[in-house]
Amino acid sequence: MIALGGIRKLHLDPTKPPVLDGISLKIAQGETCGLCGPGASGKSLLLKIICGLVRPESGTVEVAGADLFDSTADELRKVQSQIGYLFQNNALFDSMTVFENVAFPLRQRARLQHESIEEAALAERVGEALRGVGLATHIEKMPSQLSGGQRKRVALARAVVARPPLLIYDEPTAGLDPVTTAKVYDLLAAERELMQSTTLIVSSDLDALRRFASRMLMIYRGTLCYDGPAAEMADSPNPVVRQFVRGELEGPL
Amino acid sequence: MTTQRATSEPKTYLGHHAFDGARELGRIAALTFLGALRSRRPKGELVRQLYQVGNRSLLFVLVTLGFTGMVLVFQSCLQLSRVTGDLSQVGGEFIKYLIHEFGPSLTAMMLATRVGAGIAAEVGSMVVTEQVDALRMCGVEPVEYLLVPRFLATQVMTLTLAVFGVLSAVLMGAWTAHQTFHVPYSVFLDISKVRSTDVLTGVIKALAYGAAIPIVSGFCGLRTHGGSEGVGWATTRAVVSSSFAVIVLDFLISALALLTWQAH
Amino acid sequence: MTRALLALGTVVLSLCREIGGMALLGCYTLFELIRGRCDGRELVRNLYKMGVVSVPIVSLTALFTGGTMVIQSGIFVQRFQAYGLLGWGTGYAVLREVGPILIGLMFSGRVGANNAADLGSMVVTEQVDGLRALAIEPIPFLIVPRVLAMILAMFCLLVLGDAVAIAGGMVFGKLLLGVDFASFYASFVDAIKLWDLTVGLLKGTFFALMIALTSCHYGLAVKGGAVGVGHAVNDAVVAAALLIMVSDDIWTMVLR
Repeated sequence: MIALGGIRKLHLDPTKPPVLDGISLKIAQGETCGLCGPGASGKSLLLKIICGLVRPESGTVEVAGADLFDSTADELRKVQSQIGYLFQNNALFDSMTVFENVAFPLRQRARLQHESIEEAALAERVGEALRGVGLATHIEKMPSQLSGGQRKRVALARAVVARPPLLIYDEPTAGLDPVTTAKVYDLLAAERELMQSTTLIVSSDLDALRRFASRMLMIYRGTLCYDGPAAEMADSPNPVVRQFVRGELEGPL
Repeated sequence: MTTQRATSEPKTYLGHHAFDGARELGRIAALTFLGALRSRRPKGELVRQLYQVGNRSLLFVLVTLGFTGMVLVFQSCLQLSRVTGDLSQVGGEFIKYLIHEFGPSLTAMMLATRVGAGIAAEVGSMVVTEQVDALRMCGVEPVEYLLVPRFLATQVMTLTLAVFGVLSAVLMGAWTAHQTFHVPYSVFLDISKVRSTDVLTGVIKALAYGAAIPIVSGFCGLRTHGGSEGVGWATTRAVVSSSFAVIVLDFLISALALLTWQAH
Repeated sequence: MTRALLALGTVVLSLCREIGGMALLGCYTLFELIRGRCDGRELVRNLYKMGVVSVPIVSLTALFTGGTMVIQSGIFVQRFQAYGLLGWGTGYAVLREVGPILIGLMFSGRVGANNAADLGSMVVTEQVDGLRALAIEPIPFLIVPRVLAMILAMFCLLVLGDAVAIAGGMVFGKLLLGVDFASFYASFVDAIKLWDLTVGLLKGTFFALMIALTSCHYGLAVKGGAVGVGHAVNDAVVAAALLIMVSDDIWTMVLR
């Protein structure tokens, strides 16, 4: 599903070392991967590179069989519309209602494929997605009228409404209280069961992440320092990984 | 090896960035023009932008241009009454100047601050809250979606507001001339000096400004990075760059008009 | 009818609040200035940030302004064959009206907007509250140096801008109209009095005060994150442009 080869992205400040320095990995169809690493290690950047939002200085990105940086703008758009992305800050369009926000990917996908979509069918699918996150009664509200957890759930509904084969979640639980966090993870698990899609998830909540994802990746100083089963992460031979997982103060980190 | 890297890299980096910026500006301009020609955007957004750009700047333009009209008429009457004392020509010349120079240019300077800053602030905060990335993930080209309606609205409204601005300046100028120098309204409001080339120059200027302001400030807005401070920076840059674009375009178009039409 | 009245009332009230806020800020600044409380290091830093850095944009603006003024006077000059009046027309327009206004507008865009954005993001990221917590008063530390720096920087930039605009007028007068430097200079020196320059500088300095007060006021009044900062910058430049245009009218009427 995803194949990265030698991704290298320089720091904006040229005197600093590159943010990502030669990252290669493959994620198979239907896999659930968790991505972690210390703050500002380039996790979000890697996600944006996978989606074709940021161009690396060198390296290849292949998503769903298409080389992202060797394709026309139209081809890139086609691949991007097959990815459901949950942004760190939700990125709800604040000039649109909740309904229009969730309907937006469906409308745009129809436009890209030159199809017309009936309003009734649209309302049906949007309603279904919003029922899935428990917000069916908030359809006409504006994003600014919602609480943080509600906004996160609307953003989740928008990410999954078009049934994308690849789902990417950037910090889905940052800034939420423990109960809401548990609720969001429940929803993510439900989506995964329903759609059997490939899932890539970044989170600083390492315990929840290791319960959710079967495979873990860790970035440190621009390179991939762990890639393996989630259960064995705490016993990794790499001292950096061990220290990070156990949250110890003493160590190389 | 390390010292060489430290000295050579920032330089190529800067050059690279200047080149990148120029190419990006060109890409945005081309996409905006193409998008404006195809224009498949829902009409609701265009109406909203027309309201944002036009109606909400109307009072601002009327007040500033009105006061400018007063100042210009006052100054020219004062100078002329010292030299010749014949004030019968002031109105005609003033209206002519207003149409081909001050009307469109000052309106555009005002719109560069109001509309340019507005576009950059709006687009910039959409960039830092990742809404622009979200648009792209839905398969939408942000330039086309965000800038085309603003471009069309600014294009239409710069011309419209310039007309209102000229009217406001003429009326306030006529009032000033009447009150302080006792020039009758019938003498002041003399449009016989206005030629078709003056009107054409004014319209060309308004159209050029109306294209430059949204493209330049949209470019500044889309290049925003880094939180609330970044939005502030982008807005500042948009005001300065679009005002400067207006001043340069004014000079170029005036020079061209002088060379083509006045020479004969 | 009641709704219209309500809307009008809201507008008037908010207008009063903004103007009152600016006047109050001006009084505080003056008060602190008289007591001599102004952070010296901040003043120097702001002078550099506002003055030195704006030199290129002000010079370029002035150059093109001088050129445009020559073209506009040129239309007259060609019609009446009055080549001897070009220096006077350009000089008078640049020194008294167009110079202060255009350089003022550019200054407002470059420095005023920047200042509002700077203060606004300090408010949003709670740095102003942080200063208070450290027992540093925001007005003498943040506002007084900025207001003072803006006025001083604008005065110097205006002198520079006037010179560049007149020089630009000479060059473009030669290139576009064929008026040689000597006759331009002669008519400039003959007709322009020191008073014209003084009026322009007085006006420009007053505009700088207006820019300083609007940008500090809107910057400190920011609410609500990145979107709020953008709005504050927008409001600050619009208010500054309005005040520049309106006060220019009053100055012109008063100082003939």
